[in-house]
Amino acid sequence: MNNYPLRTSAKKGLIFAVVLIFLVLIDFQVMAATMISKAMGTNVVSGGIPEVQYMIIFLVLYGMWIGSNASPKEGRLRDKLLGGLVAGLTLGLVIAFFDLILTYLLRSGIDVRRYLSALGPNSMRVFLLDQLEAGPVYHLLLFGAAGFLGGLLKILFNSEPVKRFFKNIKTWIQQTRQKVNQSMPPWLTKYGIYVIYVLIGLAAFFIPRSWGSYNNYVLGLVGLYVILGIGLNVIVGLSGQLMLGFAAFFAMGAYSVALLNAPFPHNILLGFWPSLLVGVVMAVLAAVLLGLPVMGLRGDYLAIVTLGFGEIIRILLKSDLLTAYTGGPRGIQNIQGPTLFGRPFSNDVAFTYIILVFVALSIFIYTRLERSRTGRAWLAVKEDTKVAEATGVNIKKSKLLALCIGAAFAGLAGGIFAARNLFTGPNDHQLMVSMNILSILIVGGMNSVPGIILGAFTLKGLPEILREIENYRLLVFGGLLVFMMIVRPEGLWPATRPNLEAQASQKVPEEDAPETGGPHD
Amino acid sequence: METTLRPQRRFKRSKLPKIIRLLLGIIVVALIIWRLYLVLLVQREYTPDIWLRLLFSGLIIGGVYSLIAIGYTLVYGILRMINFAHGEVMMLGTFGGYLVFEATKTIQVAGESGLTISQAHPFLSVVLAFITGMLVSASAGFFLEKIAYRPLRKAPRLIPLISAIGASIFLQNAAQLLFSPQTRDYTNPPAIARGMGWKIMVNQTSVIIPYTGVLTFVLSISFMIALYLVVRKTKLGKAMRAVAADKNTAALMGIDVDGIISRTFIISGILAGAAGVMWGLHNGLVYYFVGFLPGIKAFTSAVLGGIGNIPGAMLGGMLLGLIESLGPTALGISYQLKDVLAFAILIVILIFRPSGILGEVLSEEKV
Repeated sequence: MNNYPLRTSAKKGLIFAVVLIFLVLIDFQVMAATMISKAMGTNVVSGGIPEVQYMIIFLVLYGMWIGSNASPKEGRLRDKLLGGLVAGLTLGLVIAFFDLILTYLLRSGIDVRRYLSALGPNSMRVFLLDQLEAGPVYHLLLFGAAGFLGGLLKILFNSEPVKRFFKNIKTWIQQTRQKVNQSMPPWLTKYGIYVIYVLIGLAAFFIPRSWGSYNNYVLGLVGLYVILGIGLNVIVGLSGQLMLGFAAFFAMGAYSVALLNAPFPHNILLGFWPSLLVGVVMAVLAAVLLGLPVMGLRGDYLAIVTLGFGEIIRILLKSDLLTAYTGGPRGIQNIQGPTLFGRPFSNDVAFTYIILVFVALSIFIYTRLERSRTGRAWLAVKEDTKVAEATGVNIKKSKLLALCIGAAFAGLAGGIFAARNLFTGPNDHQLMVSMNILSILIVGGMNSVPGIILGAFTLKGLPEILREIENYRLLVFGGLLVFMMIVRPEGLWPATRPNLEAQASQKVPEEDAPETGGPHD
Repeated sequence: METTLRPQRRFKRSKLPKIIRLLLGIIVVALIIWRLYLVLLVQREYTPDIWLRLLFSGLIIGGVYSLIAIGYTLVYGILRMINFAHGEVMMLGTFGGYLVFEATKTIQVAGESGLTISQAHPFLSVVLAFITGMLVSASAGFFLEKIAYRPLRKAPRLIPLISAIGASIFLQNAAQLLFSPQTRDYTNPPAIARGMGWKIMVNQTSVIIPYTGVLTFVLSISFMIALYLVVRKTKLGKAMRAVAADKNTAALMGIDVDGIISRTFIISGILAGAAGVMWGLHNGLVYYFVGFLPGIKAFTSAVLGGIGNIPGAMLGGMLLGLIESLGPTALGISYQLKDVLAFAILIVILIFRPSGILGEVLSEEKV
């Protein structure tokens, strides 16, 4: 075991100090304090600086987190108690030196925003708790106390009575659930799922009407990303081909609808529904053209090739070469909305309905596909290509089919997206779109529809609602991808079927499990 | 009879992909030859001085690509993984050099009147910038490996790739938040300002060989030679080659595999940092996205030369630089589409010869 637990704690404090300095340099602390003050009911003017007490709360929470993290799990009580304190004090000491630099900058009036754009005088001042001289001392005391408190809380939570208490609650929940299950009438267990479906359907019908247009916009965006996520999941999750150029298929759908429905480059005005179909077909065609030559490549090469394909499509759409046909870098404006039975059907609520219907359809198609012979063939190809081939699966055909079906979903989503925004341009189809969809899959959980919906809500819906995060969204995305891969590669809401198999096989070799431990251990 | 025939038909492989591949190849080659014929022999728009200028810029950019490509190839050779965040490592090096140049531009030399360091000691400031850029990139590579890749050493292949993509997005946006999204001008020392250079006369027109370009080219060639010597002649290089060939056996021979992998990332970070400062000196722009395209193109060059193969990466980088600068003009297409050309080469190479020009150097395990 570790002979110097306090040294480890100090090291952790040092790491967290570096992290905190980074957070200050990107002005993260102001965002966090603003969110805390909003959560406590005080509104901060957008772009304004929160009050000092919320900054204190943020710093105390940060210190407590570190304290609980740095306090060793096993060992003597003294080490446990002191671990948090040592980590907090180390953090406070480093931050105190950092504070001296900040104070010097504030005093001499040097503006560093030319190089470190986020380090404005106001956010520096609020980080120093409005105390220019005593700021370092305050920080040191605050972090020390918070670290000690964190360590104390950890000891408390790991103590026997608390553990027993939580265990009791858990068993109580299980017992009540069993009781409820037993006491339910048989028709409810059989048809209950349909009742839930009907309830969801009614909610989906009535809620968009009473919501404002902004909520509908967010819901529609999440819905589109659910469709895209399902499409990419067919390619990545089911058939196991990492695809990084998914936005190309999205662009196919969007540009088909846009070009066939806008007055400017061609003035065809075909109507939304037929052109949506054209968009899906175009996306599938692109998938066939891309897929036939590259299907045999190794996994990571395929990823890079598809990335190149996506970029080629985007640059071509942007270039002067095709301006006459695709509108060039300025994109296509004034796309006509859809109609239903001859009447216009293109306000916010209508689009929310359209998207929700297609989401339901996609989920239905996806679940049927997953359980079909094809879906099982895909999973077999993903798990072991040679064995799958030996059992009679045509590898190339099944991979290509997965690519086409995934692309069809993307084309569909792209078409609706273009018509809903009344505009589409090359910038709607950047590499980041593909990455966003991939992150949704990975964060939510591959091959799991609830996971994809959860992922779309957390990654697309939450940043829209919590506007403060907006600047930090992609940063958090990237960090989340790494974090999820290390800590929880199966996603937040993993699929049930593979999990059961994994559990069954994991019972034998138990030594393998700890090797995928945390990054800092 | 019919029942016995059926399974045979099911196992018959379809020839369609091969035919399509062949057709695609013929079309591509025919198109290239036709365009070359049209531009070089029929139109004859471009005079030799233009070709010379393009050749120089191709060699310069090619040197930068080679240095970055070596990083990809080293890491791929050892970990069998595309270090997607390598372009971002280079970007951080570019920023490191930028900050040093900004500092030397503002700090004045004591005693002399009004001269800044970059005016008085241009050589010193360039050396400082390169060292800083290399240090920043090397530490970025080191921590990248330690945080994002090491815990995933035993995971299936796509998982580290996704982690690398995440790290790439993270680094890009961290740089954007730190240094703001605006594009900045790289402040060269006045002695090697961009656009200055030796003039030579070709066809009564003067062609400039820029100082920055010569510096870039010479430095990149010397870095490549140094790297080659390190890999071939030193104990560290021997250990790296051993780990690349077979990790388990290398560990049995007493080689610290984790340490060697760390050092590989540091070496590729050093090369990427140098390439980053060169990129800034020669191209003159720095912003958070500056690493993406060179990164992808350097990966293309690594694949072009044969991944895992260090001379291949050097050759591939040079070739790609030349193709990229000469290609659009030679094929008579808009210069805007040079990125399309690079991506198209990547796709074509991977379809027709995935092992590259000089061939892959990969161990047998798990390919």
